[in-house]
Amino acid sequence: MRTWLRRKTIPGGLGALIAALLLTSGPAAAQSTDYRAPRLPGTDQPDLNGIWQAVNSANWDIRPHAASPGAFPNLLGAIGAVPPGQGVIVGNELPYQPWAAEKQRENFENRLTRPVTRALNETTGDPEAKCFLPGVPRVTYLPYPFQIVHTASQVFIAYEFASAARIIHMDSEPASPAESWMGWSIGRWEGDTLVVEVTDQVDRTWFDRAGNFHSNAMRVTERYTPVSPYHLQYEARIEDPTVFTRPFTISMPLYRRMEPDAQLMEFKCIEFAEPFLYEHLLDASGN
Amino acid sequence: MNAKRRASITALASAVIAACIVQMPAAAQAPEGESRAGRTGWGDPDLQGVYTFSTQTPLERPEALGDKATYTPEELAALERAAAEQRASDEISAAPGELGAAYNTYWTTGEKGRLLARTSLIVDPPNGRLPPLTERAQRHLEDRAAALAARQVGEPPFVYDLFDTWLDHPTYTRCVSRPMPRIGQQYNHGLQILQSPGYVVIYYESMHDTRIIPLDGRAHLDPSVHQWNGDSRGHWEGDTLVVDWRNFTDKQEYRALGLPQGESRFIERLTKVDADTVRYEVTVEDPANWTQPWTFVSLWRGDDPNYQHPVDLYEFGCHEGNYRMMENTLNGSRALREQYAESE
Repeated sequence: MRTWLRRKTIPGGLGALIAALLLTSGPAAAQSTDYRAPRLPGTDQPDLNGIWQAVNSANWDIRPHAASPGAFPNLLGAIGAVPPGQGVIVGNELPYQPWAAEKQRENFENRLTRPVTRALNETTGDPEAKCFLPGVPRVTYLPYPFQIVHTASQVFIAYEFASAARIIHMDSEPASPAESWMGWSIGRWEGDTLVVEVTDQVDRTWFDRAGNFHSNAMRVTERYTPVSPYHLQYEARIEDPTVFTRPFTISMPLYRRMEPDAQLMEFKCIEFAEPFLYEHLLDASGN
Repeated sequence: MNAKRRASITALASAVIAACIVQMPAAAQAPEGESRAGRTGWGDPDLQGVYTFSTQTPLERPEALGDKATYTPEELAALERAAAEQRASDEISAAPGELGAAYNTYWTTGEKGRLLARTSLIVDPPNGRLPPLTERAQRHLEDRAAALAARQVGEPPFVYDLFDTWLDHPTYTRCVSRPMPRIGQQYNHGLQILQSPGYVVIYYESMHDTRIIPLDGRAHLDPSVHQWNGDSRGHWEGDTLVVDWRNFTDKQEYRALGLPQGESRFIERLTKVDADTVRYEVTVEDPANWTQPWTFVSLWRGDDPNYQHPVDLYEFGCHEGNYRMMENTLNGSRALREQYAESE
């Protein structure tokens, strides 16, 4: 490789940089590059505009996991199987309190339980199956693209899944009026990193299809760092003393969608979730 | 009938209050289409802001007004005065014992947008009225009315619409969608325009719908692709943003008209006419429903005290809390069917 680089008379400094990248790995290495993103015109901020998407299996399970058959192999065959993943948690471990580790297992067992009452609808099963707003950070690594709309004074993120959207307040720090599904986002710049503090999320959203969960005390600190023209490094530090014994961080690259004319399309999934949610209500017995 | 009239006058009243507090915008009198837009950091006309799109002015001109396109200032003031008086008496009558009216008042007062001086939003055809429907559209409305009648029970004044499936609910009640373009809406009628290089973005609070409008001249989605909120492509003509909006699904319906939007194409023209106001003009080309195109003009206001940056657009969580409504209406419909079957 190095011989090839020399023969092509690539400048020595670039060759060394590439070699350094090849020799190291992980998010820390990615952030140590000297990459400087183009500026948003009229500002000194790195331009984060673009359509981005995670390419991993964190939505199935943020922890390291082997492939598995999924809930309905008899109906869906390999289509319903769970893709394997090395996990996105720094240090690999989710520091659950003992009761919460048990609750996660219950969540997983009940992930596709059909809700039969209002109370169960709110508390049982994977909110993704119901097309509920997915909350932060899960919305970032659902297998759907999202678009960062970075203006001179604001950052707005539109997500393909469920038409979810977030206003990230950059020019002021208004107080959150109430808990919500996507939480309340206050952003700031640390160098070229967009840092977003997300609070006041309801306790009904999950981290993944494996039933990993949080409480309404969760505070998420997201970091979006441009590391090349084609990707951002994403980190989310999770603090939730109600559920976990200590804070933890998830980390993953987000890739720019490079198709010419790439655009968000509609995934308004409510109509796909309605039979799952309501079909049993058509039957007087309620089953 | 009485209740209906009161509802519409209550609506007028809220407009009057707003108009009394806030001076009528210069835009209403300014030459139509004259831009007062600043520039973004990359040189595009700057339309950004938080606005409300709602207005008390009806889409169609009341037939009794004939050729009258605008109210005189005196007539407008008289309308507003009458509505204010009606609103005051409504607030009193909505007190103890009249829960229904109080509930409606909660949702509908003070937040519905102001009157324009024009007697209709429609400016073309010049009579301010929708053009004649096509035969296909008339047939569609007849079929739709028949389908509704088939799931009604009771005799006037107690006629109940039954919901035999969740699909019998309007898409709004199902939290799926609201009609586009958005014109009048009783609540949650805020939106935000954001701009980044190459894009204009319109984020509607209601249904948390985002339209991301590319300005780079790319082609529309393939015509075989249909979406609830269509597919938008924009370009600048001077300081006016012109958007070609198509690729709708037939599941999407025009507001209050009950007609499918699958073959509709809208040409939107957005012009910032003063610091607080975007003039919003839409031409509707829909040969499936109307025998000729029609155009309406409304104003998006940035000075509504209910819709101010940074906190007045809030999460519209709708579907997430809809289960009990669906449970009750489906169970209630079944119970009413049984009750009426027994009484026959």
